[in-house]
Amino acid sequence: MKREEIAERVIKTTARELKLQPSEIKESDQFAMELGADSLKSIELVAAFEEEFDLTVVEEEALKVQSVGSAIDFFDSIINKK
Amino acid sequence: MKSMHLDQSHIKILTAQGCVSHNWNNVVFLDITDISRFRNVTFIGEVKVGDNRGTISVDGVECNCGIYNATIAQCTIGDNVRIANIGSAISNYTIKDNVVIEHVASMTADLNALCGNGVELDVVNEAGGRGTILFNELSAQTAYLQALLKHNSAFTTKLTSLIKKKITDTSTHASIGTHARIVHCGAIKNVTIGAYANIHGAQFLDNGTILSCKEHPTEVGEAVQARSFIITEGAKIDSGAIMDKVFVGQAVKMGKQFSAEDSMFFANCEGFHGEAVSLFAGPYTVTHHKSTLLIAGLFSFYNAGSGTNQSNHMYKLGPVHQGIFERGCKTGSFSYVLLESHIGAFSVVIGKHYTNINTPNLPFSYLHEGEGTSKCIPGMNLFSVGTVRDGEKWPKRDNRKAPVKRDLIIFDVFSPYTVEKMRRGRDGLLSLSESTPKEKAFVIYGGVEINRLLLKKGAKYYSMAIARYLNDKVCERIAEVLKSSGEWTNAMSSLKPVSQLKASNEWTDISGLITPRERLAVLEEKIASDVIKSVDEIIHEFQQMFDMYCADEWQYIYDTYKKEYNIDLASITKAQARTAIDAWQTSATSLHSMILEDSKREFGAFAKIGYGLDRSTDETEKDFIAVRGTSETNSVVQKLVKEVNEIKQRYEQFKNLIQ
Repeated sequence: MKREEIAERVIKTTARELKLQPSEIKESDQFAMELGADSLKSIELVAAFEEEFDLTVVEEEALKVQSVGSAIDFFDSIINKK
Repeated sequence: MKSMHLDQSHIKILTAQGCVSHNWNNVVFLDITDISRFRNVTFIGEVKVGDNRGTISVDGVECNCGIYNATIAQCTIGDNVRIANIGSAISNYTIKDNVVIEHVASMTADLNALCGNGVELDVVNEAGGRGTILFNELSAQTAYLQALLKHNSAFTTKLTSLIKKKITDTSTHASIGTHARIVHCGAIKNVTIGAYANIHGAQFLDNGTILSCKEHPTEVGEAVQARSFIITEGAKIDSGAIMDKVFVGQAVKMGKQFSAEDSMFFANCEGFHGEAVSLFAGPYTVTHHKSTLLIAGLFSFYNAGSGTNQSNHMYKLGPVHQGIFERGCKTGSFSYVLLESHIGAFSVVIGKHYTNINTPNLPFSYLHEGEGTSKCIPGMNLFSVGTVRDGEKWPKRDNRKAPVKRDLIIFDVFSPYTVEKMRRGRDGLLSLSESTPKEKAFVIYGGVEINRLLLKKGAKYYSMAIARYLNDKVCERIAEVLKSSGEWTNAMSSLKPVSQLKASNEWTDISGLITPRERLAVLEEKIASDVIKSVDEIIHEFQQMFDMYCADEWQYIYDTYKKEYNIDLASITKAQARTAIDAWQTSATSLHSMILEDSKREFGAFAKIGYGLDRSTDETEKDFIAVRGTSETNSVVQKLVKEVNEIKQRYEQFKNLIQ
């Protein structure tokens, strides 16, 4: 899967879970500081990404991800086994 | 030395010193009693006084023993006692050696006073029905028997009669124990005060017992108002606390205008500022803030945020509500829980909940409020650094110093009680996950909304914690038996449990004492059928349950391991043992890393808000570090980092051991 598609799906999922418009979300956005995802919402986001990409992540690694861009890279590395 | 009746020369001296008696024949001193140490004393009825030649410290000043400006009626007074400036009288008391009673409005007792014993408290349910009798030997466990097992009327009747018998058999004259200090107090009526107790500035004390001992003196301080109570060893009640029908357990702290009614507080509870009504506060129930009301509930190992409240708004048949907060719960600031509710162990409640929550099989969960709805994140508290910190702090903060610890406490956060609940929670969540279509965003479970995506997630968290617990214990036990008996097959056969529980997966938490349900059922039956004939025997039975915990826990692990992994531990192979340590390492490392990440968030960007006020970014960072430190210097975080290495070390050691 190309990074662009992963990025689109990460942003789409983030927007749905955080009740935002995809156009409001940038790769540089921090989930907590800029998008308002508190620690409770972070858990739901991880679960939503898992369903979106039909995979299971290593929990402690996923919780280290802070920004939209790093989430895209995180799933890119898993999906494309980088 | 021997007792003596007063002769005319004694009476003449005493009269000259302002002392009077209607009948001097009833006044008995020792032959060594210093007659000069009685000034303005009115003796009424039979009064005996011991050796008063010594001195005793009052507020740091060494003062003569003796009796000054007091009316003494029907009292026996021991050696080295100072009584001074009593407003009205001291009557019907036995005062033991080395006691000071000074500047007290009155200290009177009725001859048949039970001093708080026998008073019935309406705990857990404000409207009654869970009556619990106060008596000197009350513990978290004997209170639980009284309050929570009302379904068994034969048992309840027998238990009540045993408690009443205990009260009758042990009731004595009101007394003041050796080395007690009672100074600057208002009226004290029908109150027995134990040895070494320090009572100072209490406003009034009525119908109570203050148990105390040399190892852990009890303190009742300024402006305390207490009616119908028992306070036990090492408790400290001061600064305007108000109590009406209350039991105070060992090492409990209460003050700062905290008020409590129909409530019981067991070992190491703390109550400040707030209010308690019909509260069964099991060990380590803590409430520190104003506007916090704990009402009609069973709690233990609990921490209340400011403004915490529970109630039943409808009030149709009166205040009939009750709530169960299993051990380890926390409620956030201004959280509200509608009762009846039953919150699972180690859960965190945030926000206001207007639904009846019933989540005992979802321990370690976050219950929060979103858009006016109660929502649940199952298992999230498993990787909160707060849970780890709590689990470590409770045993360290056991402040009880009395020789006998009344409440029996199993401190383990992960025990058959919580692990079995997680197993049920996991299975329930997986079942819901399978039956819920993808189109549904959430399910309602136990009155709360769970995001569909979190059903699997919660089950996964529980699975990790279950695997960590079972494999941890199994590897620990294998290592133990291998060290004592090096040969593999023999060593493993010794893993067979010694307990013979019929249902090793059914456990209960008797307000701090975790035990298999069938042990409690046996105790119930023994009481109901007159096999047990005294409260002392009940206390002994609880001690046996406590002593059996490790063996019972092992049977749970043994049986559950077979259910989870289809492995009989008595014939576990080396390969299976290697799999066990692998499973332990994987789950332990994973959960630990999540906890570590959680702890690091405490040093993240949000944590720095408000620091470096009107200063540059650099100064903000420096201000934060000066006040909060860094994750690299924080002792909790560093301990967690160290533990990651310990997991690795243990893993290697175990692997080597079973080579």
